[in-house]
Amino acid sequence: MKIKYSLFTRREVLNGLLGGGMTALGVSLLSPILKFAFPPTREPDQVVLPFSDYENIPPNSVKSFPWGSKPGFFKRREDGTFLAFVAVCSHLDCNVTYLPDKKKFFCACHEGWYDENGLNIAGPPPKPLRQLEAVVEGEKLIIKKPK
Amino acid sequence: MLKKIGEWLDHRLGLSPILKFMMKKDVPQHEHTFWYYTGSSILLFLTIQIVTGILLAFYYKPTLEQANASVARIMTEVPLGWIIRSVHSWSSSFMIAIVMIHLLGTMFTKSYRKPREATWLSGGLLLIMSMAFGFTGYLLPWDDLSLSATKVGTDIPRKIPVIGAWATKFLRGGEDVTGDTLTRFFIFHVCVLPLAIILILAVHVFLIQKHGMSIPLEAERKGRQVKGLPFWPNFVLRESVVWLILLGVLLTIAVLFAPSLAPAADLMAPAPEGIKPEWYFLFLFQTLKLFPAKVLFVNGETLAVLTILAMVALLFLLPFIDNRPWEKKGKIITYGGYLFLVYAAVMTVWSLL
Repeated sequence: MKIKYSLFTRREVLNGLLGGGMTALGVSLLSPILKFAFPPTREPDQVVLPFSDYENIPPNSVKSFPWGSKPGFFKRREDGTFLAFVAVCSHLDCNVTYLPDKKKFFCACHEGWYDENGLNIAGPPPKPLRQLEAVVEGEKLIIKKPK
Repeated sequence: MLKKIGEWLDHRLGLSPILKFMMKKDVPQHEHTFWYYTGSSILLFLTIQIVTGILLAFYYKPTLEQANASVARIMTEVPLGWIIRSVHSWSSSFMIAIVMIHLLGTMFTKSYRKPREATWLSGGLLLIMSMAFGFTGYLLPWDDLSLSATKVGTDIPRKIPVIGAWATKFLRGGEDVTGDTLTRFFIFHVCVLPLAIILILAVHVFLIQKHGMSIPLEAERKGRQVKGLPFWPNFVLRESVVWLILLGVLLTIAVLFAPSLAPAADLMAPAPEGIKPEWYFLFLFQTLKLFPAKVLFVNGETLAVLTILAMVALLFLLPFIDNRPWEKKGKIITYGGYLFLVYAAVMTVWSLL
């Protein structure tokens, strides 16, 4: 049935409401599904390590620690100062390794190179290694995201 | 008696039109008939994958703690486990190889032309799904190589503008590749992808029956009559010969070259040297390696990923771009196809050096 001055028949309006309602319901169900599929981020704000384990590593070497589910590197420079990195390549997320004789970080996946301070120098990496802040508080070595 | 059972079933299921269709359909005979066999060979390998895959899932455990050990158990303790895994692993390579040959055959004979564009599109989806099967399956043994390959592979979508970070997080089940990624990949591999591939395959096969086999472009243009070979029993017999040969080759290779299994992956260990994806990803892997970090202020990775996406889009749109295949444009596209083939071959060989 259609009233003369109406744009739609009654049936069209009802079908539209019903169909639109069903579509809206379907779409609204997507949100909980998507929410469920993306777990919360697990990167820590900081990790606390016993400093005694890291204090005495030889100069120009690294010792790894777990940074959430990624490896981190605690590095002692030759002058005795410390640095900390997320030991993951900025290119495609492979774990890097430190080569003390070359004084470079190396990613074996696509041959990416970083200098001893984590600066990308050769190969595909677009960015330096992510640096973390290392603070010694008494017995504790606290490694945290840089501010 | 058998006839009675047949009649009883037909009254309930009404399948006789399908049988009749199979009995009377013809397969065209011409210089390109070879390509028709590639399609049915894919079905052979898919069947093998389903059967061996179900068997492997009887023993495989998709968790961080148990995955590697359960594969080791399949290889060493389960009766004939090593050969079931070997067949599953080799058959996946065979299947993808023949999917690619099938695609090239369709491309170079230009069988995707009107009215078969939708068949081509569904085929493109099937190729992507086959590769997704390979990619998700590669992680499941959970050794160093498979972990690194998955880290790289799931990080690539991150470089897609806007949705990239979400895509990576969705694939990994978090920011990083962890035990959650393994479980997720297992579900993609044994549940999501099988449902999807069977659905799309049904569409693909239906469309092939609907339109009939395509005949060579020239014969179609000139209205030349193409001889037909009855599908049943002549073509099926020939197909069976091809199947038997392929099955023999597959089993021989699977027995002689069983895949190895490295110790369980350590999430904290540096990436091992010489990581390589499966052979069908090598040309992409090498392409990624070649892009420098920056190209004119644009992130090299983003550019590489966008290039790959553009290539995929081009592949899907090919029947619409190549809409006058008998003209000069069609020839140029054919040469473009050869050029791409040479590129992929060179990149693959280069990555192996």
